[in-house]
Amino acid sequence: MPTTDHGFFVNNAWLIPFFPLLGALIAAAAGRQLRGLAHIPVVAGIGLAFLVSLGTFASAGPEVTAVASNWMTFSGLDVPIEMRVDGLSTMMMSMVTFVSCLVAIFAIGYMSGDPGYPRFFALIGLFVFSMTGLVLSNNYLLTYVFWEGVGACSYLLIGFWYARPSAAAAAMKAFLVNRVGDFGFAIAIFWLWTVMPGHDLSYGAVFEAARATDPVIIQHSAIVGISLLFFWGATAKSAQIPLYTWLPDAMEGPTPVSALIHAATMVTAGVYLIARSMPMISLAPGVQIVIAVTGCLTALLSAAIALTQFDLKRVMAYSTVSQLGYMFMALGSGVGDVAQLAVVAAMFHLFTHAFFKALLFLASGSVMHAMGDVIDMRRFGGLRNRMPVTYWTFAVGAVGLIALPPFSGFFSKDEILGAIGAVAGATHVARELHLSWSWVYNVIYLLAILTAFLTAFYTSRAFFMTFWGPEKLPSPDDPEVAGMADAHGHDAHSADAHGHGHHEIGHESPLVMTVPLMILAGCTVLIGFICLLTWPVAGGPVEWFDRHMEKTLAFETLGTAEHGFSIVTALLGTAVGVGGIWLAYVMYGKPSPLPGRVRAASGPLYQASLNKFYVDEIYGILVVGPLRAIAWLSGIFDDYVVDRLVTGIALIPRAIARARLAATQNGLIQHYAAGSAISVALLLVVIVFGIGALAVVLGVLAILLYIGSRPRSAAVTTAPRVIKADGDI
Amino acid sequence: MPATDVFSLDVLRDYLLIGAALFALGMLGFLSRRNLIVMFLSAEMMLQGTALSLVAFGRYHGNWTGQVFTIMILTVAACEASIALALIVILYNRRSSLDVTLWQDIREEGVAATPTSVVAEEAEPIEAIPGPESYPNLTPAGVEPAHPVQPWIVTRD
Amino acid sequence: MDMWKEILPSWSAIGEMLIPALVVGLGAIGTYLMLPHRHGVARPRVLFGAGAVAAGLGLLGFVAFWSPPGPVLPTVFLYIFGVTSVIGAVLTITSRDPVASALWFASVVLSTSGLFLLADAPFLAAGTIIVYAGAVVVTFLFVIMLAQMEGKADYDRAARSPAMATVISFLVLWCLVYSVATVRTGPPGDESPMGRLAHEDALHRSYNLETFLGDSDEPVIHQALTPTAQISEPPPPPDPSAPVDRPSGRAEKPNVAGLGASLYSDHLVTAGIAGALLFVALIGCVAITNPRRPIRPGHDPAQVAAVGSIRP
Repeated sequence: MPTTDHGFFVNNAWLIPFFPLLGALIAAAAGRQLRGLAHIPVVAGIGLAFLVSLGTFASAGPEVTAVASNWMTFSGLDVPIEMRVDGLSTMMMSMVTFVSCLVAIFAIGYMSGDPGYPRFFALIGLFVFSMTGLVLSNNYLLTYVFWEGVGACSYLLIGFWYARPSAAAAAMKAFLVNRVGDFGFAIAIFWLWTVMPGHDLSYGAVFEAARATDPVIIQHSAIVGISLLFFWGATAKSAQIPLYTWLPDAMEGPTPVSALIHAATMVTAGVYLIARSMPMISLAPGVQIVIAVTGCLTALLSAAIALTQFDLKRVMAYSTVSQLGYMFMALGSGVGDVAQLAVVAAMFHLFTHAFFKALLFLASGSVMHAMGDVIDMRRFGGLRNRMPVTYWTFAVGAVGLIALPPFSGFFSKDEILGAIGAVAGATHVARELHLSWSWVYNVIYLLAILTAFLTAFYTSRAFFMTFWGPEKLPSPDDPEVAGMADAHGHDAHSADAHGHGHHEIGHESPLVMTVPLMILAGCTVLIGFICLLTWPVAGGPVEWFDRHMEKTLAFETLGTAEHGFSIVTALLGTAVGVGGIWLAYVMYGKPSPLPGRVRAASGPLYQASLNKFYVDEIYGILVVGPLRAIAWLSGIFDDYVVDRLVTGIALIPRAIARARLAATQNGLIQHYAAGSAISVALLLVVIVFGIGALAVVLGVLAILLYIGSRPRSAAVTTAPRVIKADGDI
Repeated sequence: MPATDVFSLDVLRDYLLIGAALFALGMLGFLSRRNLIVMFLSAEMMLQGTALSLVAFGRYHGNWTGQVFTIMILTVAACEASIALALIVILYNRRSSLDVTLWQDIREEGVAATPTSVVAEEAEPIEAIPGPESYPNLTPAGVEPAHPVQPWIVTRD
Repeated sequence: MDMWKEILPSWSAIGEMLIPALVVGLGAIGTYLMLPHRHGVARPRVLFGAGAVAAGLGLLGFVAFWSPPGPVLPTVFLYIFGVTSVIGAVLTITSRDPVASALWFASVVLSTSGLFLLADAPFLAAGTIIVYAGAVVVTFLFVIMLAQMEGKADYDRAARSPAMATVISFLVLWCLVYSVATVRTGPPGDESPMGRLAHEDALHRSYNLETFLGDSDEPVIHQALTPTAQISEPPPPPDPSAPVDRPSGRAEKPNVAGLGASLYSDHLVTAGIAGALLFVALIGCVAITNPRRPIRPGHDPAQVAAVGSIRP
């Protein structure tokens, strides 16, 4: 394996996962001693990892790899722990470590006083370790290992307050749903292993083999199947239909964990996997339609659910699902010569979304922190004067999410819409698909615009309900609580497990929490301005990002064409955004009867949205119920058949031993020695004279034993040598 | 063609026979004697028989492995002797007897203890030594020295 | 008729089986009589004498199985040491007095050391004398002095089920003697390894060890009974500078140096394990013989201190 020198940072790219791991280990090992200082090693580790990943930026290149160690080599399978430092991975790593670092700093304030403080930070460090490892690794197998690591960490963190049943259930749900997806990923890797020459699972080799046409190395059907399975895995990790249900429940964990999962370390993994595998997936346009349709449906459905939720964090959670749907929409529209544009759009949206979604979640956490762990938006309102920093930073994040110019979200969403639009308008798509399927992209385009409108509405709704209107603080005798008790009742039992109830309700959060908010808000604005400023120089708002992404492995194999900035799309996006804000302002900006009227008018539709379209209930009937029944049957079988069989068989030697053999265990050393000596003698007899002699010798021994055990004289019979123990069986 | 070794197959067989005899007699002693110390002596004798066979094989094959193994056996025997003697001292302190029959507490629950009273019945009778007990009579030689008035330790300094 | 010939062993085979059985049986009967045990009204000294006669006859037969190594002096010493070791062994296990047992055991060790010397193992001979006769036996005697009861104890005069023990032990001995003693060399002149064993029907008598122990090209016993230098690939061409008239198969170095080199190069782990074993035994002894008994729940510390030890 050729190792070329790519400079310090690339050669030591393993430091990026290593530093958070080290911090996590220190926090875990010395947690008892560190107590309230347990955040120091983790924050320092993630910060150092961020610095190193910044260092790798400059040397990133499509073929830049660094081997850290050799993991396993057997029977033709050679899996080195190899890092790939290209445009995609450096971008992801810098984003992950930066956002994670800020989230960790925020958690210093948010988690202070929690009894599991060191455990929390150890898990955060582990989480970042897994995610950076996933991004850095250069073959599918290693990626899979870290993929599972991310899943395990998310399980542990969602169930951080494991004493609370809802948190334990949410953690279990996240883990199980992710297992369903991991299964697809694993099958994809097995399949890839069988079709790859030399069982080489590294990205470069796989893409090369997939593209090879003379001779064909991987059959087209295999490419389609593997791509579909990859997408199956990604649907679980990145919360797409049908496996998205775990993500909204995942906010049972502490808010920084939600921020981390939603922004940086978890849900991006699926998008990353698809983007990484794009050189292969783009060979299967049919799969891309599946991806795009799934993403579009997810985006629309979750946006529709988010419209009516009263839980601030839940709104944000569904918004994440929706935005991830956007990213998959973009990746799915990377057909033909739009592929490069699509990948750049998806990754840029991932990049900007990480900042403003982390910001929104942390701001929600700040609100929740200030409201004494109440998160129901009906129980507070008008907080703009009490929490000015949170208010302004939330506003920046919201505008970013709504995608108004010149914030970062505008450019990324515009890019996505542009990509979809380019596909929809392109004639080559029909040729690629061999069918007249290109109308699908037209529908997707319209639905994306609709989703953008919904996004603007629910974001502004949450914003206005929380910060505008008459000031209201949560109080136990809130009349609305009893009357409008929500189905999930998240806030009813959250305060008991959460240990930081020392502060008074209704104050701005401490500096350690607001500074990360301000930094994230600054980044949201800054990225937008970078786009604006480089526009004239580079020839496009996202051109600077595109330049970096071009350093990605096999990126040049994706189709490319000139796609100018579509003014129509930009205007349309902005218009629906403004429209959504205006509608939300009318309904929620100040107390008004409108929401009630709308609710009454829409009737069952409203109820369906409020109850998340009963997806959880449907899953419960279709999947969970049968599984429970099977488990119950298996339990019965295990208890009454398997266990009885095992214990029954175990009873046989027990009874025999009690009846016959126990008497020979008389505790005399020489008795036991005689037993082993007889065995040696008999073994020798068998070896030397053959098995026939054994019978002779055994007969002689039996005769001798009989003679020896006969009562010899009257004097001796009074004291038998061995008292037979009869009654103790 | 190397010169014929004096340590031929026949000599090897002699050693193996003697080793086998020592091993079997040691086994007999371990199985039949009741005295703990004699039992352990018998066990050591089995080890001696094995060592003899090993040395002979090593000599016959012309390598050192047999002797190295015998050194290992020597070590094991030394360890065994030290532990065994320590145990014997302890056990004697507890029961004032070296009879191995006294130590049968590890028997299966419900199995009656083997009585120790039969020992006296199975023991062979003590035969009187014919004639009166006599001790050697030493002739005094030279003049008996004067006994010191005080112990010598005290007068030393 | 032929069928019976195939099934039944030939007369010579029966003889080969019966002669060791006779010798070993004589020894067994003798040793059985010598073991301390009550036999009705028979007088112990008479029984011991009769047993000694029988065992002596058995020993004579046993010696007849031996073959002299050739030169006079080694032959004489081999017979002397062999006979004394076996006699010492019998007396070790039959003595009524543990002190006598220990001393007879010392004689066994001395004889064994003599046999070591004859087998070109001077270091082991010295080591065995020093370790066994010098240290172990003396420690045994010391413990006997420490722990011996007044007079002759009952348990020293009563062997446990001597008949069964004798039968078992001499069954083992019979198997060993039969399998070892019947190994004869081939006709004189045939020095090839297979020739040595060509007439060895003991190997093929009832069990083919080749199939019993593995599918090697050569019988396993054949490998065990052939000097290493002959069954492996031929030895390297002799160094012209080295003296040519070395005995076959001996290592290049003088005895003790060669043993040390082998012990500390080929068998370094063995030496390390032996050291660790000694160390653990040392710790074990110290831990076992700690005179202070642990105070267990329910014991009154003051009482324990007053009594010194609690008899279970």
